[in-house]
Amino acid sequence: MADFMREARLNRAFVKLADTLTDDFDVVDLLQNLVEQCAEILDTQAAGLMLLDGLGELQLVASTSEETTLIEVMQLNAGAGPCVECFTTGKPVTVGDIERSGDRWPAFRLEAMRQGFKSVHATPMRLRGQVLGALNMFSIHVGELVAADVAVAQALADVATIGLLQERGSREKTLVAAQLQQALNSRILIEQAKGVVSESAELTMDEAFAALRKYARDHNLTLTTAATAVIDRSVDLGSRVGAKGEAGSHV
Amino acid sequence: MHDSKNDFVVAEPTDLCLPFIDDLGVTGVSIAVFGPRGGQSTICSSDAVAARIDELQFDLGEGPQWATLKTGVPTLVPNVSTGTHDSWPIFAASIGSLHVGALFAFPLLMGAVTVGTVGLYRRTAGALNPRHMEIAVTLASALTDVAVRHAIAGADNEGDGESMVTPAMRREVHQATGMILVQLDTTGTIAYSRLQAHAFANGRTVQDVARDVVSRHLSFRSLPE
Repeated sequence: MADFMREARLNRAFVKLADTLTDDFDVVDLLQNLVEQCAEILDTQAAGLMLLDGLGELQLVASTSEETTLIEVMQLNAGAGPCVECFTTGKPVTVGDIERSGDRWPAFRLEAMRQGFKSVHATPMRLRGQVLGALNMFSIHVGELVAADVAVAQALADVATIGLLQERGSREKTLVAAQLQQALNSRILIEQAKGVVSESAELTMDEAFAALRKYARDHNLTLTTAATAVIDRSVDLGSRVGAKGEAGSHV
Repeated sequence: MHDSKNDFVVAEPTDLCLPFIDDLGVTGVSIAVFGPRGGQSTICSSDAVAARIDELQFDLGEGPQWATLKTGVPTLVPNVSTGTHDSWPIFAASIGSLHVGALFAFPLLMGAVTVGTVGLYRRTAGALNPRHMEIAVTLASALTDVAVRHAIAGADNEGDGESMVTPAMRREVHQATGMILVQLDTTGTIAYSRLQAHAFANGRTVQDVARDVVSRHLSFRSLPE
């Protein structure tokens, strides 16, 4: 039964991801959907996707929450943690019990524990022998992912990779780099838009992101398009959102 | 940071210019980024003429690269000798002796903020074809991170920009830019330059000031112009 349920969820997830790959697909939307589906299907409480930037650093482009604390732990993970190990080796890394991970990644271990995470799994995003990033899942339960789950995580990460690069389908390295860059730059745009919404509607950054997303969904726009409209002030979410806090409750 | 063998990473500044020459059939390239002091710093020039074109524009405060900085979109001058040059008369007069046929400028974008420009020149006149336009935009976007790092490097650690800025801090910088944009009712590029200028004037890092803005300890509404 549980398997059947998951099968159904998984199918739905792939259909939803395939949907995002249509005409005016937005890479940030795709990755945002992916991390959410991933957390749901694999019954983990938080997920985040890191991509390699032009300076060789891993940057968080999508996560299940915009809370600063989660972002912190994701970045520590990418600095010295299972994520960077997954990235450098190109292989999945599972840490079934973070508390017992010893002193391999002290800062990461401490922060993850402080936030109540007990286990973490990192799946590489690979393209023809190159690693472009990693998909990370955090759980509040101790235990490694079973083989079937590892395969599911890899399948989802592969979809993300294809989605990320399908637009031009190019084999040229510069173009691959530029595709990654486009995703990272969209993320910057979204951060700037969060600032605009936060300031004009007096919302927290988290609420501002929720308001931006809701606006994009309600108007059938990509997140990037919505962010651009907010930044060039052709849309004012401040007046739409109204009272403080309202945006957050619609998520 | 980590021992990556990944060859997507662009390393040497001088290498940054080369793809433009190889792929676009232009003669020379220079890449300028707007640093913490609000002034430009040229991160690479492929030859002396490219360097001179760059230098002239920033000395005079006009030219195609300035236009691109203001608008955030490419500025194309396919034929320098017959062009009108209304927006850059002094610059146009000054490059007469350099025998330049065509000039093109492309923005380096950090979200909605223009943080630098790529200037291209060709000895012969003629437009970039659509494919070249697309490649130029693509190549410019691949430079964004280098530009961003230069742009966010704090005034007090200029020259040491390699070590300072963590990705998490950058998020706050972008969020603060959005907030300042509203506070001053202006564009992203100007909001960001105000943030930089404030950091520089107070001997603080951009990310430090950004954190104060995001936590609402500092508002640019209440700052003197």
